[in-house]
Amino acid sequence: MLQKNCVAKATMTSALDSCPSAVGLAGLLNHEIEFPLGLLGFPDCRRFMLKRFASGDANESPFFILDSLDQELSFPVIHPDFVSPDYTVPIFPQLLDSLGAKAGAELVPLLIVTVRERVEDTTVNLQGPLLISAQSHTGVQLVVEEFPLRHPLVNGPSR
Amino acid sequence: MLVLSRRMGESVAIGDDIVITVVALSGNQVRIGIEAPREVRVLRQEIFQAVQEENRLAANAAGATRRLEDVAKKLRGKGDDDIGA
Repeated sequence: MLQKNCVAKATMTSALDSCPSAVGLAGLLNHEIEFPLGLLGFPDCRRFMLKRFASGDANESPFFILDSLDQELSFPVIHPDFVSPDYTVPIFPQLLDSLGAKAGAELVPLLIVTVRERVEDTTVNLQGPLLISAQSHTGVQLVVEEFPLRHPLVNGPSR
Repeated sequence: MLVLSRRMGESVAIGDDIVITVVALSGNQVRIGIEAPREVRVLRQEIFQAVQEENRLAANAAGATRRLEDVAKKLRGKGDDDIGA
């Protein structure tokens, strides 16, 4: 299901350019995005803004920040292409309707990143992907039971 | 909590458009069928709670910005073998 070593180094450095969903993703940046149901555990966080996360040395990073406009909180997110090219979110017709989207292609998937004490322990939540329509700027968090909740993003040195 | 008994094949209606049916019984396991509108989220409770909890962890990670920089550097600075698992 999830392949090893699937992200080429090149895609990490040129983030948006080499990302198949780059157009949709770029269109979401710095735009108000509405999650009518909020995120799981945060039903009142409905309005967000997606921002690029540039690391301190001004290098582009694969990360984006989903900033809540309702509360003081934010979620680091990453596009699934940076994690696994095989990852696809199941899309059904009612989902398209609820997001005001006409085709699955206009939905941009994003995965929430859990940053922990150690860099090596960083994980990506494949079980609770976000889907955002690039047209309506409406999003939802899905739950896909068969995917892991904590997929390692970085393989640390063996201890 | 409302507690009621149902036999195999019998159902419980919740509101106008949700029906829960006992489909099979074996040992201490019950298989239930759920009919609900698509917009109603139906999940095993432990999975629902796990995703909620993971969201909270992700949102409240102290020093997340600094460490995210470190993660980005790590991803950039290393070869293909270090990304993904």
